[in-house]
Parts: sequence; structure tokens; C-alpha cells
Amino acid sequence: MPTDPIEFELFKNALFSVADEMALTIFRTTYSGVLRDNMDYSTAMFDGAGTLAAQGLTLPGHLGSMPTAMAAIKSAFGQVSPGDVFVLNDPFDGGMHLPDIFVFKPIHFAGELVAYAGTVSHHTDVGGRVPGSNASDSTEIYQEGLRIPPLKLYDRGARNDTLWSLIERNVRVPVKVFGDLRAQLAACHIAEAALVDLARRLGPAKLKGRMRELVDYSERLTRAAIRELPDGVYRFLDHIDDDGIDPDRPIPLAVAITKAGDAMRVDWTGSSPQVKGAINNTLSFTKSASYCAIRSILPADIPNNEGVFRAIEVTAPPGTIANAVLPAACAARGLTGFRMVDCMFGALAQMLPDKVFAASDGGNTGISIGGWYPDRRPFIYVDFTCCAWGARPYADGLDGNSNIFANMASQPVEVTESEQPIEIAAYEFIPDAMGPGKFRGGAPFRRDYRFLAEEGILQVRSDRRRFRPYGLYGGGPGRPSMNYLDPEGENRPLPSKLTMTIRRGEVFRHEVAGAGGWGDPLEREPALVCEDVRNELVSLEAARRDYGVVIAGTPPAVDIPATEELRRRLRARRDWPQPPAVSWEPPEIARAAE
Amino acid sequence: MARFRVGVDIGGTFTDIVFLGEDGERITRKVSSSVEDYAAAIVEGLAEIIAERRLGGADIIEILHGTTVASNAILERKGARTGLITTKGFRDILEIRTLRFPRLYDLAWTKPPPLVPRYLRVEVEERVNARGEILRALTEADAERALRRLLDEGVEAVAVCLLHSYANPAHERLIKKAAARVAPGLNLSLSFEVLPEIKEYERTSTTVINAYLRPIVETYLARLEAGLRDSGIRAPVLLMQSNGGLTTAQAAAERPIHIVESGPAAGVVGVEALARQLGVKNAISFDMGGTTAKAAIIENGEPSRALEYSVGGGVMTGSRLLSGSGYALKVPAIDLAEVGAGGGSILAIDAGGALKVGPQSAGASPGPVCYDRGGTLATVTDANVVLGYLNPRQLVGGALRLDAEKARAAVAEQIARPLGLGAEDAAYGAFLIAASNMVRALKAVSSERGRDPRQYALVAFGGNGPLFAAAMAEALSMTRILIPPSAGVFSSFGLLYSEVEYHFSRTRKALLSELDPRILSDILGELEQAARERLDADGFPPERIEIRRSAALHYQGQSFELDVPMPEGGIDRRALAALEEGYGVEHERTYGHRAGADEPVELVIVKLIGRGISEPPRAALAAHAALPPGIVIAEPVRRAYFGPGKGWHEARVVGRADLRTPLSGPCIVEEYDTTIVVPLGAEARLDAFGNVEIALPPGAGRG
Repeated sequence: MPTDPIEFELFKNALFSVADEMALTIFRTTYSGVLRDNMDYSTAMFDGAGTLAAQGLTLPGHLGSMPTAMAAIKSAFGQVSPGDVFVLNDPFDGGMHLPDIFVFKPIHFAGELVAYAGTVSHHTDVGGRVPGSNASDSTEIYQEGLRIPPLKLYDRGARNDTLWSLIERNVRVPVKVFGDLRAQLAACHIAEAALVDLARRLGPAKLKGRMRELVDYSERLTRAAIRELPDGVYRFLDHIDDDGIDPDRPIPLAVAITKAGDAMRVDWTGSSPQVKGAINNTLSFTKSASYCAIRSILPADIPNNEGVFRAIEVTAPPGTIANAVLPAACAARGLTGFRMVDCMFGALAQMLPDKVFAASDGGNTGISIGGWYPDRRPFIYVDFTCCAWGARPYADGLDGNSNIFANMASQPVEVTESEQPIEIAAYEFIPDAMGPGKFRGGAPFRRDYRFLAEEGILQVRSDRRRFRPYGLYGGGPGRPSMNYLDPEGENRPLPSKLTMTIRRGEVFRHEVAGAGGWGDPLEREPALVCEDVRNELVSLEAARRDYGVVIAGTPPAVDIPATEELRRRLRARRDWPQPPAVSWEPPEIARAAE
Repeated sequence: MARFRVGVDIGGTFTDIVFLGEDGERITRKVSSSVEDYAAAIVEGLAEIIAERRLGGADIIEILHGTTVASNAILERKGARTGLITTKGFRDILEIRTLRFPRLYDLAWTKPPPLVPRYLRVEVEERVNARGEILRALTEADAERALRRLLDEGVEAVAVCLLHSYANPAHERLIKKAAARVAPGLNLSLSFEVLPEIKEYERTSTTVINAYLRPIVETYLARLEAGLRDSGIRAPVLLMQSNGGLTTAQAAAERPIHIVESGPAAGVVGVEALARQLGVKNAISFDMGGTTAKAAIIENGEPSRALEYSVGGGVMTGSRLLSGSGYALKVPAIDLAEVGAGGGSILAIDAGGALKVGPQSAGASPGPVCYDRGGTLATVTDANVVLGYLNPRQLVGGALRLDAEKARAAVAEQIARPLGLGAEDAAYGAFLIAASNMVRALKAVSSERGRDPRQYALVAFGGNGPLFAAAMAEALSMTRILIPPSAGVFSSFGLLYSEVEYHFSRTRKALLSELDPRILSDILGELEQAARERLDADGFPPERIEIRRSAALHYQGQSFELDVPMPEGGIDRRALAALEEGYGVEHERTYGHRAGADEPVELVIVKLIGRGISEPPRAALAAHAALPPGIVIAEPVRRAYFGPGKGWHEARVVGRADLRTPLSGPCIVEEYDTTIVVPLGAEARLDAFGNVEIALPPGAGRG
């Protein structure tokens, strides 16, 4: 228990409100569309020893990043002085992938180091071979942009002009990058003012004590919650279809979660060696994915800090996709993070079958279309899209909701069309694509992009084609993601990862994968099936085939005797001793219908 | 005999009615809100006062009304059965929303269900591009087919939102014509009329909400006006809009989207008027009731407004960073920060041993333990009883009996014992934590936007606001607190201070350095004409119309804008340069940094507010209001606890009028509708307008 529970709570409120204030400053002044739409930034407060005391409510993908970056700074600089500001982005020395630039500032009070403020923002561009520095088809880090080891952006208050001009020369849009760096600095200054004020009120000794207590408090809450979970080792194996460089080689991700007493260990041994494509994780990003899934089964109000992480150990052998080493490319490692989250939930579903959802759509698809107008002006359009949640043991999966690991926003169709040579020809749910179940998976959508300029390059990074979003405890898997060219004409299927030329008038269609279902579809409330039929999310045929529900009439109504009869026949035919815990493929009859 | 202007504010449990006489007399009344028929409760309440005072219907000059009818219809999903017509391929825009969700790591998150289910969303074959060019023409036959299909489903209202209709509304107009043929009198909301702006989700959602609310609000207003007529009252009814201005009943019925945050806006407008009266430029408004607390900021005499917000999502505790709750509504509204903290908030100790206040609430039923109505969990109100801040025997002038012993036992048992504290220390801790939760709302409107709260006066009202005002001010080192008269029903007073107001805006993206000043001038001219026509229709002559102009700007490449007032007079190059510099200054003030002079500033939205000033101005009338009658003070001294450092003190218990002679804290001001705590070291006095002003010593902050 905290020494003074009341002062402690007041301190906690004060510190987290500083982290929020920092975050708002970055968010509201940003130049980066990725930062805005994907909430791709985080803010944090550390104590004077560099222990993470408070991380604001921002991107789940940054959960493991702050302590790692802090450790890199500490090992690079033994001595810190008032007025220093540190910067880094090197994935192999404290960073995650190059667009994420970390800015840290030590905070002194009366000559003593009492805290650090930390920020990380996804920047618009950090150089390298493609605009945005986010290509999935780079094969080594040297192609991906400017690597910044832990360096001083300011040294005792003096600006490091060498570094600033080096950055300026190596990024495509220095105005935007500098604008976002300024915002990160401003956030650090806000934190400094607030912490100095707190140190003055409490005294530096008490400030230190409170920070330590806050970390202990989170650890205590985390361990108390973990203690309530059943002990055991829970394993799961999932796959990324391929890395886009070796199209026929599936990439295994294997996790073993050991829960014993009040601690958890997450081990990624058995996952693929690092790959050529740019989807390799740093260990810090693997930690982020692991923490994100575990946080989702713990009480919501545990403050995010080092205390949570003390109770959860995450390991992965070096040289694997889960803990890559030089010269691995990692710009597009988001995909691996999403799949790891699916993998984590697959394992956790065995531990907590009544709490954890089936597989969601697999995370976002990245689509970029770039090229030149006739007057040689460039255009680049980047769209990340995902939308369907796996079914829960007590409710359907969500239709049209961002992935739990991302919480990104969609770009408005009208804004896209007014700024890009692109017409979005359709943006709608796909019927019969959700995994059936007692609770069905979320509905995915399709987006059709008609290209309006003369010629451009289309790049797509999608997945969940070969390995579908799995269903749980009798629930079926979702329909795979698909890419097509010219859907209203030739409707030519395209691979899941591709780089190709696109010409005026051509239409590219992307279909997000449907999410997995939960529980036996033959136990689904027929009225719910009927509602989906009325809403044209489930066809009459699929209602019969997948759910054994017979629907007829206008407005559609359930034929109860026919439904009971059909369900009896279907049960007899499939002859389940018990529902399969995990389903990767639908029954033959459903496959045939696809 | 004096004639009266009447403010009526419907709340969840009570409807507050205030009569303000031309001679300054005020009569306030709380009547129970009747959920079945809000209008009936108002008519009865008015009739009661009229009968008591032997007034005639003609003695009522006007009725100014704040209502929750619209927001309740959304919260309870009791709006009209609504259909939606969209462009082919886009019927799911309404349901897909922006994809974002407000609760990280929450596997149980449930999206608000769409206000129009998918089978009532009908597509038409048509397409317009971003430049407004028609790529595929809509046929009359297809428009009629879509309408018939919805009519066959029995819809009561139809919303239409086609892609890029803000750029070319031809197809929406065609549907309007088709509707006039197929279904004359159909309740139709068209997106190019409701919100002619880019971004299809926001426009669709706003148009749908308008359609969904119209039948409900129309019926309500018709019933209210009929009831008033039957009681012989023929005074016009004006409604409070979310933006803080009044509008006519007819306009509100057509565009109910503007009155969704009607109630909370009224209180802020009251603070705005009070600040103007006192010559206070900058104030923070703080309204705390039984379940929620709301803060807003007034700067240079104007409340800060948001261009869009979300409705029906419940109170989000914590961060403003997370969006996606509720339904998007893109209309200007007073920008409120809300936290789920009130007198009913429950005290608890969590698994980590920390004392928590809320967000669970005992509400009005069963309510706090001291109400003795079955509540067993200690609440903020119980803590206030233990501390001696609240009268231990009764509230609301005796209408509510309290059991102080039960409160004390609950706090001792549930909080103090597990923490190893005395009951008063536990209660004081809960009091401070409640205050610190609410401080986050104050910070959200001030320091999170680069505003130093010490430069602002805190104006506190609502049943519980005046209890906490001093503690919150202290935490933020604010030194000046104002508690207006009738603080517990202050929102209905706010209505009496308001003026008719309409907001207009136009999106126009252009770099200031490249913008032709004539283009901006033309846009402003058109907006001003629209505002003047609207106000003229409401009967305002030109000399009683006020126009305010501003621009939303950002550095090229940024995603969010800040408002900068437009320079007075004609728009030329120099005016644009002034705007550019104004943005840099505002950016620095808000975020602590600005870009170099060479970084281009971009115009995004041109905004204009037209205000019709009543004759004489309402605010001037309200200024002469007399003090409300005091209640009987049974015990002139009560023991009150001010924390482990300061301990128990004999606090004087007084009525508002007693503060004509300034008093030093500790003292407690008891009133019919609220209680004010004046802590040690603070000084309280009554100003010329009946406000209690509390001065705190500077630098008393606690953190």
C-alpha cells in the first residue's frame, strides 16, 4: 500500500495529466498524417534513474518502446546536464523503425536530476528509397533512411547544428520533420515545467518516492490480477503468408505464454528467422505486441509503467523476426506486430476461453499509389485500412472498427478524392465474409480505388490470404483478404503483396479479411441470423449452410420448424465429438461456395 | 405590475424555472421533470407560479428554454424511424464511422449501433466527383424507387447524403423534388442544406441525427406551444442552442441538431454574461451536479467553441485524446470538458490500495448513504457531511433530510478502517481526490491549451460546484472565485442573459500568401448576408445586429487549426499579413512554440457569427436581479475539518446576505440550492451584483 494513499492518488492524477498534456501538444500541432490518423506517437515520464513512471494513453504499439529507448540513452551518455535533449531512431540502438524518432529531456531541480520526459512520434519522412520511409520491400536497413544513434539534439541548451543540418539534408520534407520535432520539444518543456513545479511543492525526495510508489503500485495491481489467472503454459502458432520477397514461404510465429503465480513469461522461440522483407521486429516491438494482448485481459485502470512490465517477461532469440539484428529491414514491421497480437490472443484464449475473442481481420493493409502528374509534380497516396473484430465469447465481433493494436482512423473518401488522382468507387461491407459462430466475426469491407492519372505505381502489403483469421470453439474462420484488378470487368485476382504499374481508369479492389467466429454457429440465435439477412450481411444460402437457419418471406422471417429440422441434419452430418478449439479452414461445403 | 421573462431549463430529474421581473424580482422553482411529457411539467410549473402571483398570461414577455429533449432521444435511441439515401457503394459510411474507438485494451468495447440500420440505408445510382462534376446522372425513376422503398418500410423521416453534394447538390435537390411528388410533407433532411461541408462521415452523421430528431422535437415544441396557449401565454419561445445563442422554436424544429447541448450551454452563457457585467475578461466556468462536472473557458469575454463533437457516448473520464464514442455531430457548440464526478460518486479502495472516487455513481437513487434511501456505499456527499461542510440535518431548505451518523459510519467502515485513518481524514482525502479528478476538466480547457489557469476567475455553480470551488482553485493556484446568486439553478439564469445567434462557416483552403484578398472578402460578404437575412427574418433591424468574423488557420501540412479573429474592416494584403502573424502568436501561446516566419500559413475555414441583440439587451436586464431570499440558518457555528494539517475548526455558518460584511474563512454559506465552503485563509464577500467573491491567498497550490 502507498505510504499516503491520498497524496499518492493526487500525485498519480498530476503525473498522468502531464503525460496527456504533452500528448495533446504533439497531436494538435502535427504535420504527419500517420501520426494523426494512427495516433502513432506516445509520451512518457521517467524518474531520475530512468524508470518509466507514466506512459500516456496513446499507441499500443509503443508500450515496450520507452524503456528500451531510455536504456540506450543511459548507456550512451553517462553524464547528463541541465539543458540536454537526446534524440534517436536507430532500431538497433533503442529505436523501433526509422520513422519513429524519440526525443528525451532530462529534468533537473536544484541541481539534481529528478526525472526524464520522453516522446516518440512517427515522422512524415526520414529519407531512404521511398517517400514516407515505410516500404515493405526493402531488404536491409540501409535502404530505409537516416539512422540516428543516441545523440544530443541540444547540449546544455546549445542546439547541435551539425545534427540538425544532417537531418535537414537527409529527409524529403524537412519543414514537416522539424515542425514535428519542435512539437516533441515543446511537449518536453511542458513536462519540465510541471515536474519542476511538483518538485518544488513536494521536495525532490518526496517526488522520487512518489514516482517509485507509482511503479510499485502498478506492479502490485498487475501481479494481483495475474495471480487470479490459471497457471499453465499456453502455446499458439500462427503465420504471416509471406514477406513479399519470397512469396511461397510462410512465416511462422510461435508463442509460449507461461503463467505461474503472479508472473507471466512470453517466449517467441520457434518463430521464423529474420526475413528479407521489411517486416522484422525489434525486441521492443515484440514486447509491445505481447504487452498489448496481456493488458487487454487485465483490469483497464492499471497505470502504464515499468511496474506492469516487471511482471511480464518477454523473450525472443536474436536473429529472428521477433528480435532482428543488423542489417534487417523493419519499416513495415507493423504486420508482424498485428500477427503477434493474433498469436497472443490465440494462446490466451486457452487460458481464458470465456474472455478472449477470435482472430480479428489480421491488422491493417497498407496500400500506396504514387507517381507523377504530367507537369512532373509528384503525388503519393498512402492508405492503411482494417475494420473487423473477432467474435467475443458473449457478443459478435465489431463491424467497421479499428484493430485493437492500432486504433487508427480512416481517411475520408471526399478528402482523398479532392487531394489525389483517385476515385474511391466503393467502400462497403462484404456479405458472407465474417466467420460464422454462435457469435459471428466482424464484417470486413471492400475499398475500390479507380486510378485517374496517366500512370502510377501501386504497392500493396496485405496478408491473411493463405492463413485466415481463425475461429474459436466451433466458430468458423473469416473469409481471406483478396485483391483484384478491374472487379467490374476481368476481375483478375492479384497477390497479397505486390508492386505493379497502374494506369488511368484501372480499378484496384481490396477486400479486408473477415474476422473469426466464436462458438457453434448452429447455436446462434436464429433471430440474429435473420437480422443479418435483413441487413444483407448474410445471404439466404449462407444462413442455411453456415447457421442451419431457414429464412423466408418479406420482411424476412425465421421458419422455426424448418430451422430445427435443418440444424438436426447438419449436426448429424458433421458429427463433432466436441467443437474444435481453433478453426483455420471452413467446412468443405462452405469452401466450395466461396 | 411588473412583467416577467422566464427561463426554463429541463434537467434529468428537475426542471428549473426562473421568473425575472422587469423590476429585478426573481422567483425560482424546481419541479419534477416528467419523462413522458416534458412539456406538461413546464406548463404546469408556469401555471402554478402565475396563479400564486396572480399574474396574467400577458405578463410573460418571453420564454427562454434549454431542453434535453434532443439529447435524451439520442441517448435512449428514441428518435424517429429514419431512412437514409446514399450514393451506390457507400451505404455503410454511417456505420463504419472513422474506425476509431475510445477505449484501448477493452475487448468488451461495443460500438454505438447506427441510428439507421443497414436495411433502411438505400443506395441510388449516381456519382459526383470532388470538383462537383456529375460522373453518373441520377434519374428521377431511381430517386423515386429509393424513396418508395423507405416509405414501404414505414420510415417517419428520411436523411439524404450523397458523395460530394457540398460541391454540387443537384442530385440531392432531385431527390427533394421527387419526395415532393411521392410523399408530400415527408420529413426530409438533405445534407447540402444541413451541413454543406466536405467529409462524408461527419456530414452523413449530422444529417441523420437531424432527421432522427426532427419529428420528436417538432412534436415536443408544438405540444409546448399549445399548452402555453391554453394557459393564456402567448409569449414567444426561444431555444438555447449548443453554441450558446438563442434561436426561434421554428428554426429549432427544422434543425434540432443545434439544440442537442442546449442545457449545458446555458450555464456557460450565464458565466459569460456575469463576466461581462463584472468586467472580467477571462473566466473558467465550472458546473457540478449529482453525477457529472463540466468545465468551459471564457476568453476575452467569449466562450471557446468546438466545431464538432460527439453526442450520446456517455462521459469519458480521463483523456480527450480518445475519440469514437457516441455519434459525430458537426455543429458549433460551446466546448465543454466533462468528467463523471458528482455528489453521488462512490468512494472505494482499489486492489493496489489507492483511494478512488467514482466513476461509479449512486445517482439520485439510491443516492448517498446520508439520504437514507437505501444507499449503502459511501459517496462524495457523505464525505462532505462527515467534514461538516454540508448541513448534517437537511438540504434544499428542509425538503431533503440527512442522516449524518449513517454517512459517518459508512465512511469509517468502508474507507477509513482499511486505510488505517480516522473518518475525517478519509473523508478529507476523498474530498481532495474528487477535486483533483475535476481539476482534470479545468485543465482540459486551460493548461492543455496553453492557458494559465491563474489568469482566470473560477465561476462555480450547480448544486455541488460551490462546495469544491476553493479546493480546486487552490490546486491550480487560482486566486479568485465567484459564486453567482441562485447557483444551484444558475443554468436557467443563463438563458435570461442570452441573445439570438447564428453561426456560419465556409471551408476554403488556401495559403494566405497566395490568397487573393477579394476572394476572402467575397466569402465574408456572402456569410454576412446570410447572417443578416436570417436575423432579419427573426425581426432584428440592422442596428441590432452584431457580426463577428474569424478564420481557422494552420501551418501548411498541419491537421488541426486554431481560430484567429479577422481584422476589422476591409480585407486587403495587410489584413492577410495580420492574420498570418496572429496565427504565429496564437500557436506560440497555445503550444509553446511557433515556426519561422518563412513557414506558410494556410486558411482552412472562414467563420462568421451573427447576433441579434434584444431591446433592451437581456444581459442588462438580468443585471438588476435582486438577491434570492435566504433560508433559515439553524446553527450559526459548525465544526468543519480542513485536513490533517489544519484540523477541526469552528466555522461560521451564514446566509449569502451576511457576506455584505466580508468574512474570513473558515465559514460556510448555506442556501436553498447550494452550499459554499470558504476555507481557512480565504476571504469571502458579496459584490454589488450579489455574487459571492472568494479571494484565496496566492501560491496556496497543492498539486
